[in-house]
Amino acid sequence: MRRPHRRIETQLTVVGTGIAGFAAALFARARGLDVAQVGHSGALAYTTGYLDLLGVADGRKIADPWAGLDALRMTEPGHPFGRLANADIRAALDAFIGEVNAMGLGYTPAGAANLTALLPYGVTKPTLSLPETMWPGAAALAERAPALIVDFAGLQGFSAAEFAANMAAVWPGLATARLAFPGMESLQVFPEPMARALETRETRAAFVARLRPHLGAVTHVGLPAILGVHRPDTVRAALEAELGVTLFEIPTIPPGVPGIRLRELFERHLPGRGVALEPNLKAAEARLDPSGITLALHGPMEDLDIRAEAVVLATGRFLSGGLRAERSGIRETLFGLPVAQPDGREAWFRPAYFDPRGHPVNRLGLTVDDRFRPLDAAGAPVHPRLHAAGAVLAGQDWARSRSGAGLAIASAWAAVNAAGAELGSSPGDPGPTTAPGAAPAQEPGTA
Amino acid sequence: MNAPTERPEIDFLAVARALMPAGATTDACVGCGLCASGCPAAGLFGMDPRRFVNMAALGMNEALSTTPWVWACTQCKRCAYVCPMGIDVSLLVGVARGAWPDDEKPKGIVRSCAAQRLDASTSAMGVRSEDFVEIVEETAEELRESDPRFADLRVPMDRKGAMFVVNQNSREPAVEPEEMGPMWKIFDYVGADWTYSSKGWAAENFCMFTGDDAAWKEMVETRVDAINALEPQVWINTECGHSFYTLWKGIERFGLEAKFEAGSLVSYYAQWIREGKLPVNADWNTLGVKFTVQDPCQLVRKSLGDQAAEDLRFVVKTLVGEENFIDMTPSRQANYCCGGGGGFLQAGMNDERRAYGKRKFDQIAATEAAYVLTPCHNCHSQIEDIGGHYHGAYHVTHLWTLICLSLGILGPDERKYLGPELAGINLPEEA
Repeated sequence: MRRPHRRIETQLTVVGTGIAGFAAALFARARGLDVAQVGHSGALAYTTGYLDLLGVADGRKIADPWAGLDALRMTEPGHPFGRLANADIRAALDAFIGEVNAMGLGYTPAGAANLTALLPYGVTKPTLSLPETMWPGAAALAERAPALIVDFAGLQGFSAAEFAANMAAVWPGLATARLAFPGMESLQVFPEPMARALETRETRAAFVARLRPHLGAVTHVGLPAILGVHRPDTVRAALEAELGVTLFEIPTIPPGVPGIRLRELFERHLPGRGVALEPNLKAAEARLDPSGITLALHGPMEDLDIRAEAVVLATGRFLSGGLRAERSGIRETLFGLPVAQPDGREAWFRPAYFDPRGHPVNRLGLTVDDRFRPLDAAGAPVHPRLHAAGAVLAGQDWARSRSGAGLAIASAWAAVNAAGAELGSSPGDPGPTTAPGAAPAQEPGTA
Repeated sequence: MNAPTERPEIDFLAVARALMPAGATTDACVGCGLCASGCPAAGLFGMDPRRFVNMAALGMNEALSTTPWVWACTQCKRCAYVCPMGIDVSLLVGVARGAWPDDEKPKGIVRSCAAQRLDASTSAMGVRSEDFVEIVEETAEELRESDPRFADLRVPMDRKGAMFVVNQNSREPAVEPEEMGPMWKIFDYVGADWTYSSKGWAAENFCMFTGDDAAWKEMVETRVDAINALEPQVWINTECGHSFYTLWKGIERFGLEAKFEAGSLVSYYAQWIREGKLPVNADWNTLGVKFTVQDPCQLVRKSLGDQAAEDLRFVVKTLVGEENFIDMTPSRQANYCCGGGGGFLQAGMNDERRAYGKRKFDQIAATEAAYVLTPCHNCHSQIEDIGGHYHGAYHVTHLWTLICLSLGILGPDERKYLGPELAGINLPEEA
């Protein structure tokens, strides 16, 4: 049987479907660029849903991420944040949060200071923007509001009693309860199916009936993140109306709902915004030539070539497949780009796992110029229109510094703006993009 | 189902290493559980995809060789879709199925495969080639007599050199032949150059579901030979999911020579609408009846990807009105299997199958749509069944029904899957 061969031509192709990749695709469409995006499930589903900018510096939680960034530029001049001004980072976050809100998933605006957000084991972390379903938890903690924490029989990795015990010093008097989730009484349960079930009126009614007897005099109820996948703000509002209390979600360990929400939100909305999205195809091979970049992909029934004038590489590190550790060193998997790395495997890790300085292996990746273009061994851009964004960038330890989303979004912003300028597009309105199917501005040289 | 007695010992880890695509290995499993969280079969028979992979890595081959869960997994590949490492548990499940002794496999699947091997028709419902030719001709004659607009309708059989060879699920000729009419009318309307083949026409393949590769190959060979003999440009798969996957995948897997392209009827509906040959619209839907769509896993995630999902949505939105279409979430390539696939409908495990289908039912219920449209017979049957079981208030309908409804050519006896509110809409003028 003849195997169909499809070819698409784009101005900008985003490789990667994590926060950086989706942010890049949205920013590029907002500039009117003609965009394709390819990737696979990657690591997006592992997020708490919080959008961190900079939560930790020198091993300590920080309250002001903007001042923290100023300090970081002094202490770590090679950090990707060092190539970005605070005003650009803020513009990027505002644009991303605006897009997500416009797609129907509520997030709080990025403010001047970090918020204290809840984590599943009864600890907290500093972050800058929270899903609307989680924001009341941070507010309730600040007020020490009388609250009930609920967990579920058969749900692993989330214990209300543990949460209350670990919180006791800062949030005394938390009540706890364990419920059997309606229709899932005899199973090991996962947050995802519970969240989907709560999108139906029938399950919401059964859930309300089970929760109501435990309310007592509390004003707030904290739940693992299960308030729907597709319309969490609506689900939360519907349940609050029935229960007469304020509900808030606490993120769970993977596999958790907040990341699945983001992934499905982008999968659902980006095609309608004109992004040619292949959410389940990894770029297998890539070829650079002076006029552009060609990516080869192999689907179940067809081969696909994508011809791009510019590329934003947002493939992440090891878990997402952007980097691969091999016997002789660490390799960038698609283009074979130079990876800034220590000499030899023995230097990847320090002897102490909890060394406050972190480990060299967690700071390696692609070295880029001010336009976020990966550099070759001689320090020149590998290709004039090949850019990189997100966790694949060298010189940062996003996990340790609690800066993953902020770094992804801000570097995607910078990479897209640089690519857009090279392609001759002007910066568009950084707010939400236009209606589905809106025609991209035609640029010279595109088919 | 009793634990089987004698069967070959399978080294599942070795199988995994051999079958996984480049870069995907069970060793790479980080144990995150996205596969299990996203799998409607998780928890049935105490098994889920993560556990299956973990047990393979631990060498627990006997337990994996005997768990009846392999018949509850519909091999929908959603686990591979959500796994950052691309680990595809359905491949292991296929090997495990094949190692079960035939007399211990679910009887419904085995019997259906055996029936397919009895006659060149490859029909799982025992419709032989000569029966099919006769049923088609009788049904076409009734249609010509009952509707003067189609007095000249022809249903070509074994016409060499036609552009399209089209297959036919056995359910229609076997139990509801009048349901073949709408598709014929659509072909007639657009002037399609098409034919059935009297051999290998059946659009079902339970042999693939038995895990017996030799039987799967035999089915595909019979069909490919029959299609090749008619020399079409394209083989069009009817509104059915697995019959599409089983053929193209079988051709690739067994290295067969197919002198045609494989196409989906849904994509042709979309093409004909775009070309203006099928001038359907939503004018009939004055009541604002709401519709949702089930993406067949075999057609979308396992075969054509989001292009097929796009075509499906384009057709449905054109037919019912954009404002009357409510998508399920998740959908497209991330869609949940309904629980009718993989032979589960025929496996005799009704309690487990309905437990599996609860997630699909919840998805449909969340849309609050009155109709589910799906171009897949197994989806159709399963979604109807769980609708009854969980007291859903929706109907399940083929696309051809709505296309003919919109065109005003859907006869009164072609409306069995419509509810009362649509039963009288756009009836053709009396003869």
